[in-house]
Amino acid sequence: MRRWLLPLVVGVIVAVAGYQFALAAAPRLLMRAAIARVGQGGMNRMTHGPLATDRARAIVRPSPDLAYSSCPFDLSGGPVRVQVAPAPSVYWSLSVFDSRTDTAFVRNNAEAGQQPIDIILARPGQAAAAGREVVRVNGDRGIALVRILVQDRSGFPAIDAARRRSSCAPI
Amino acid sequence: MHTALRYLLTGVLGLAVGVGAAVQSVRAGALGSNIQIGPWSTGLDFGTADASAKTRAVVALRGLLALPAKEARYYTAAVDDAGQPLDGRCRYRVAGGVIPGRWWSLTLYDREGYLVKNTANRFSVQSSDVVRYTPGVAADDQSERARAMRAIFAAEQRWAIQVAPTPPPASAQASWLPTGGIERFELTLRIYLPADEGRSNPPHAMMPSITKEGC
Repeated sequence: MRRWLLPLVVGVIVAVAGYQFALAAAPRLLMRAAIARVGQGGMNRMTHGPLATDRARAIVRPSPDLAYSSCPFDLSGGPVRVQVAPAPSVYWSLSVFDSRTDTAFVRNNAEAGQQPIDIILARPGQAAAAGREVVRVNGDRGIALVRILVQDRSGFPAIDAARRRSSCAPI
Repeated sequence: MHTALRYLLTGVLGLAVGVGAAVQSVRAGALGSNIQIGPWSTGLDFGTADASAKTRAVVALRGLLALPAKEARYYTAAVDDAGQPLDGRCRYRVAGGVIPGRWWSLTLYDREGYLVKNTANRFSVQSSDVVRYTPGVAADDQSERARAMRAIFAAEQRWAIQVAPTPPPASAQASWLPTGGIERFELTLRIYLPADEGRSNPPHAMMPSITKEGC
């Protein structure tokens, strides 16, 4: 029995380490899966999703009250510029999530003074255009997400037209 | 048994137990389970670098791309006020008053976090949609007293939502949020641009009540 004592201690240590490792790895893996799902329209470009219904499976807990536009980005080839046009709604915002699901940037229409948002996404140390607002993001990949409140679904066509002026592209 | 084999066996078993426990703990974890207000659970650290490893993993699984607290607060309920699991074959009355924020919505999800198919194609009720009423005054009461009561209690903004597989009768003074008749569902209350920049939670009395009315 004594010959099992040390192997069992090692087993317990591996179990604790495995638990912590799995918890730490989960966000990256789930984010990677989400990027793959919303990135079907291509990386570094803005895709405008329909209003969420029971058929929506790209992300969990989608809000059916919000029109989502997403840009799955990849900074390995250089910085990416994200521009968001104002929408005819009482609430809209741009948020940027890094590869660990942390929020790197968030700004809503009130904070933007109802004006367009124009930012450059870049990794720490990556050269970005001078004079522009640069948002530093950890990791190469992530998602920039535009949310627009749709209070009445009959108002969606006007919102949809406005959001198509938003863009996302490598510099 | 060879010593190396013993280490290999306990190591592999340990890894399987550790990873399995993590997966189980994340899958069983409710969204924002670190603060409980009646049936509602929430957290303040969604989408921030301060989130613990487990919170981060649960949010990634159940609420990926959630906004930070100053922008939106999320409150999720999987049980009613009596602590019983929410059952889509039953009728519930979700009722409340002023919710401290610019705008709010109540959305119904299945246990996996997806919207639920229903005949009305309705998946949420927004603050701008809810039927507001004056306690003790019927919706169709146009008497002098009823009008006076409505004027007095207008600021209280009482509202009710009927969460049920079938629509409520027109006289029920409630908006309808369909359950689609599924066995288990969850409700998520989103408060956008919350008061106090989302630093604190509304008191229990300010959160909507969830009362089962029948099955």
